[in-house]
Amino acid sequence: MVTDRREFLIGGGRVLLIASAAASGALKYVLAGAAEQAPGYVLDDHWWAMTIDIDRCIGCGNCVRACKAENDVPREPFFFRTWVERYHLPEGDVDRPVVDSPDGGFDGFKELYRPGDGSKNFYVPKLCNHCAHSPCVQVCPVGATFDSPDGVVLVDKTYCLGCRYCVQACPYGCRFIDPRTRTVDKCTFCYHRITKGLTTACCEVCPTDARVLGDLKNPSDRIHAFLREHTIHVLKPQMATGAKVYYADLDGSVR
Amino acid sequence: MFEKALSGGRRYWAWMVSLLVVIGVGAACWYWQLSEGLTITGLSRDVVWGFYIAQFTFLVGVAASAVMVVLPYYLHDYRAFGKITILGELLAIAAVIMCMLFIFVDMGMPARILNIFLHPTPSSMMFWDAVALGGYLLLNIVISRVTLGAERRGDPPPAWITPVIVLSIPWAISIHTVTAFLYAGLAARPFWLTAIMAPRFLASAFASGPALLILLALVVRRVSDFDPGRQAIRALATIVTYAMVANVFFVAVELYTALYSGIPEHVSHFAYLFMGLDGEATLAPWMWASAVLAVVALVLLLNPGSRSSETSLVVACVAVFASLWIDKGLGMVVAGFVPSPLGRVVHYSPTAPELAIGLGIWAAGLLVVTGLFKIALEVRGHLRRP
Repeated sequence: MVTDRREFLIGGGRVLLIASAAASGALKYVLAGAAEQAPGYVLDDHWWAMTIDIDRCIGCGNCVRACKAENDVPREPFFFRTWVERYHLPEGDVDRPVVDSPDGGFDGFKELYRPGDGSKNFYVPKLCNHCAHSPCVQVCPVGATFDSPDGVVLVDKTYCLGCRYCVQACPYGCRFIDPRTRTVDKCTFCYHRITKGLTTACCEVCPTDARVLGDLKNPSDRIHAFLREHTIHVLKPQMATGAKVYYADLDGSVR
Repeated sequence: MFEKALSGGRRYWAWMVSLLVVIGVGAACWYWQLSEGLTITGLSRDVVWGFYIAQFTFLVGVAASAVMVVLPYYLHDYRAFGKITILGELLAIAAVIMCMLFIFVDMGMPARILNIFLHPTPSSMMFWDAVALGGYLLLNIVISRVTLGAERRGDPPPAWITPVIVLSIPWAISIHTVTAFLYAGLAARPFWLTAIMAPRFLASAFASGPALLILLALVVRRVSDFDPGRQAIRALATIVTYAMVANVFFVAVELYTALYSGIPEHVSHFAYLFMGLDGEATLAPWMWASAVLAVVALVLLLNPGSRSSETSLVVACVAVFASLWIDKGLGMVVAGFVPSPLGRVVHYSPTAPELAIGLGIWAAGLLVVTGLFKIALEVRGHLRRP
């Protein structure tokens, strides 16, 4: 059979066209993980973040309890989506803090340090930082951990291998394996709530407004004023993860 | 060709059946793990990778070390390796199979393992590691099958296999480099965030792998007519010596960087390994044993007299293998997790079922090695005795 160049090019072009159409159709099956939909919620209209005012946190543990209840976090006292750490800096020592977090602060904190003993004491609530450049998304071998376009890092548990690569990639220690599903779990910024116009469970119950959810794409959100008016710090800034949990007046000794 | 692995004398079958028993115990424990989850292992919220992944990491090195016989034989036409090269390639096959099994048993959801290829994510080193290991297994199966098949027919190997063999050389380097990158690129884990990790992995691989190959070749010589040849063993011993010296040097470089800079995040992991931290010192005796074994091995290897004496060479090879197994198969992975990024010091030691599963996989590797070596020796007519 003789094939001239014209026929060959037309045939080849067809094959290429069909193959690329098939490839683009298949892409959505290759890319694992997509954010759950909510009616009237437009992903691209939001960019979620949280502010935490260290000076306001009283270590009551309301946020820890609310989070566990709202998100069905495993009961064992070492699984948390959010937890609170107490920092204690003895007098004259600024960089070797004593840190404790009994049951993640679930039941609050027993008084250990006397007022006026010269030490510096404060609470640091922690959770997933929903990094804009998150190492966990980078290392997931199957795309089960992904960035949602509204700035939330989510996990699609139906793809997760339970390989735990993301757990070790996270510099903030906020990921764990849920022993019931054997897949990874972490804070979702209460995605099921925020896409319906509510705030997160932890922010909802915070008695001092120490933690506040904010939408950086909403020009009238008070997060803009908060970031402008406070000394803002993120955890481990040297890792350039683009962390979006912004701490006001965070001490330099915090890990 | 495979039928040759299915016939053998009483000793052969006694060995194979006892391996099968160990595999059976491991498989039963794995079945238990499948129903209970990884909670039956010593792993925890803070130490998420342990014995399984450490064995995987060590064995990738053993697999990669086949290049230490393939390269001199095929690239430099080093004839002394004529007999032993095939053993190196077959050992690589067994090691890669063990690697894959260790990864498989480490998964929380093993049924989803194919998601790595169904939902490929090129930004993840784990994806590339799967590609590299799969490719390396395929390369070694093709190479050993084709060269052995040609040998059986009395033909020279076909010309097309040469580029495949040449490709297997950088591929071997790549599997261990990518395995090092699995750890080395993570800002969250300062212990692993070091550029020397891939070179160090390769140096320790090129010491432990050939050391194992020497030991295996000597065992094979005992149970068959096969003789690797004095020159081949000598050359392998030289390779082990250079690689072990390089490995110890790389470790010293790491220690210097961590300790001289004094950066707490870097020092604390070494302190945990060798001294213990906050009273948690599970690994310290092991690490000191590893250090002592490394010194013993170096003394025996660097001294030409003891290197060429077979008895002391065997001791040296056992010391090299044990030292590096402790370093990579116990310490390297766990120390990355302790202390955790939040400063917590936690205890990890493998549980009995975890060890049984690991032992089962090692037995499976030995079974594969024995079967494959038997095929190769039969083809070469070294097993005329019943």
